[in-house]
Amino acid sequence: MVSTRDRVRAAAPGPSTAPPRRRGLLRARRRAGLLMVAPAVLHALIWIGIPLIAAIVLSFTSYDVLTPPRFIGLENFRDLISDNVFRRAVLNTSIYTFFTVPVAMGIALLIALMLNTRLAGRAIFRTAIFIPQVTATIAVALVWLWIYDPRSGLANAVLSFLGLDGPAWLSSTDWAMPAVIVVGIWQGIGLKMLIYLAALQSLPTDLYEAASVDGASKVRQFFSLTLPLLRPATFFVFVTSVIGAFQSFDQVYILTDGGPANSTTMMTYEIYKSAFREFRMGYACAQSLVLFALLLFLTLLNRRITGGDRATR
Amino acid sequence: MEYTRRSVLTALGLGAVAAATGCSASGGNTQAAADGPAEGEISLLTPLFEGSTGKDLLEGKLLPAFKQKNPNVTVKVDYTTYAALNEKITTSLAGGLMPDVVMLGVGWIPPFAHKKVLAPLPDELAKRYEYEDRVLEPSRYDGKLYALPMVLDTRIVTYRKDLFAEAGIKAPPKDWAELRAMSKELARGDGAGKLTRVGFDPFSIDLRQCWETFLFANDGNLFDESGQQVKFNDDRGVEALQLFLDVIKDKSADYSFKSSAGQPTTLQQGRSAMMMSNNSLWVQLKKQSPELLEEDKVGAFILANKVPAMLQGGTMVARSASSKHAAAAQALVEFMGTPESILPTAEQRGSVPGVQNLRTSTYVKENGFVKLALDNMSKARSEGGTAAWMEIREKIKTTLETAVVGKRTAKEAIDELANLSKEAISRL
Repeated sequence: MVSTRDRVRAAAPGPSTAPPRRRGLLRARRRAGLLMVAPAVLHALIWIGIPLIAAIVLSFTSYDVLTPPRFIGLENFRDLISDNVFRRAVLNTSIYTFFTVPVAMGIALLIALMLNTRLAGRAIFRTAIFIPQVTATIAVALVWLWIYDPRSGLANAVLSFLGLDGPAWLSSTDWAMPAVIVVGIWQGIGLKMLIYLAALQSLPTDLYEAASVDGASKVRQFFSLTLPLLRPATFFVFVTSVIGAFQSFDQVYILTDGGPANSTTMMTYEIYKSAFREFRMGYACAQSLVLFALLLFLTLLNRRITGGDRATR
Repeated sequence: MEYTRRSVLTALGLGAVAAATGCSASGGNTQAAADGPAEGEISLLTPLFEGSTGKDLLEGKLLPAFKQKNPNVTVKVDYTTYAALNEKITTSLAGGLMPDVVMLGVGWIPPFAHKKVLAPLPDELAKRYEYEDRVLEPSRYDGKLYALPMVLDTRIVTYRKDLFAEAGIKAPPKDWAELRAMSKELARGDGAGKLTRVGFDPFSIDLRQCWETFLFANDGNLFDESGQQVKFNDDRGVEALQLFLDVIKDKSADYSFKSSAGQPTTLQQGRSAMMMSNNSLWVQLKKQSPELLEEDKVGAFILANKVPAMLQGGTMVARSASSKHAAAAQALVEFMGTPESILPTAEQRGSVPGVQNLRTSTYVKENGFVKLALDNMSKARSEGGTAAWMEIREKIKTTLETAVVGKRTAKEAIDELANLSKEAISRL
């Protein structure tokens, strides 16, 4: 099979064979193209490139903001290896991601499928489901704080109505993480649902008509057509959700402060604590690099497994 | 000049390094002298004047009075909370925009003075007023005065007199053995054995400050005089933490029995018979449960075991070493440290004023907890005492919590905390 890129390459004359006027035109086009991408490249360089390089450089220093950075080689990384709390944060972040991403994706897809029908009042449902995404996490977390209150909270009131004795959700090392995960799932559904809904609405109807003619049931159509066709959307949702989950911070900051006994602390929370509460900027940069490396690895792994954003044809 | 990919990358790398190291220029190692006329626009970073009442007091009363005395000085206020104060200072320092005048907590002076972020103040200011005993101790570092106390906050034990009477207990506990026995007696449960009232609630205040109060009452210390040696990892520190585990084991305390911020405390709700409190609880009681004060149902005492001890924190006002208007900044520091500024600020927050001549004020006379704190100021001890405090203070709660929730023994948690503290001190 010949790809579009190969076809374009074959069609374009080589620099040695093109006449001078054509070459000039190509150069002008290239210049115009570079000029057009320049703002985006400049933006990425200033706000991503320089901080990234600065973080790499600072991770090899002892820097407390108050005095100049001092080169200490790999000491920050050695400290990281023996840092029990950071190890716990990596584990907690992984557990949080493992539960929030697939569950929220599954629920979001289910809701998107339901809202992709001719359901009455579906605009209201779409808005309601998207609202947690656009509501400030601080406000959301404060409401959840009340829900999880062991004595006057909604969660235990419901459990009590069912004859069950609710736990002290946020003070218990066993229940604090599940409580945070539930908030994460609830808050993440809206955006995922929106992306899935947009993807569902762009699926070609002729394929479904053909499948119906061939006698494929709705369930068969879902598994053999919808899911494979949603692969680019799923890849996008998965990658952004994993990155989002690894960067979750505010709900932990408000709900549990990383406790009790570090049972809900996350990587970003530890980075924040090292940098802004303990004044260990160099160490925080080393922690950030570990987070960066983990995210890069997961994204590449997912790309390898799912074939990236290429839809199954 | 021809730009190759390698040369561009090299330039970028060097630029980033320069940008990174450039941040350190804001370290503020140059200390401007505070002589000359007080003039210019200065900034004030404060966690004290919260909400509209606080703002009204500061901008409606205190700063106009300051302006009257210093007409050429304009003050721009940056309000924050204690929770966000660290971030504010860190980002200000990194951006080279350290406020000219900053209000800090007890324990914060050594780390910032050590790094030359704060400018020393003239020692005469320490003798301007008659300060309560040891109030100026946390303001000093390396023999120099770096801050003036604005308001003090102490940790005391409050109790319900009516619940004590109901249980036939005549007087508050004199030591931990009595505290533990009384807690057991005062705790109540429902038919299923679930606690409905704890005998003692040590967890409604910050665990770090609670443990420190118990450490001091056990005659222990956090660090040695030089701030280089950890001293809390002896039996006294372990026993202080063990007591929390013991009252939990006795089912006379519970880690989930905590007061939520702004809500009535467990003591007010009758869900605890004794509670570790801040002296500001008096103001909260007056607002939320005045009947408890009117009917004399709430009392307070100083925690005691080997010695009676009270943790004393508070807020101090200091001048930035990098202020461009040093004289104006110092004038504001001096003004905020006067009884005229201290009294209304303490009154607004229910805090303890640190100047002796305010003892006779109506506010002190009418606030039972503030009066108790002032009468026992000689028993007060403060946290901090090492230049590595900012890092160590963050580790204390999370490390001690591992023992409170039963993941470690008290000794294991204290040993872990000691190791973390030693590492932090070694990095100085």
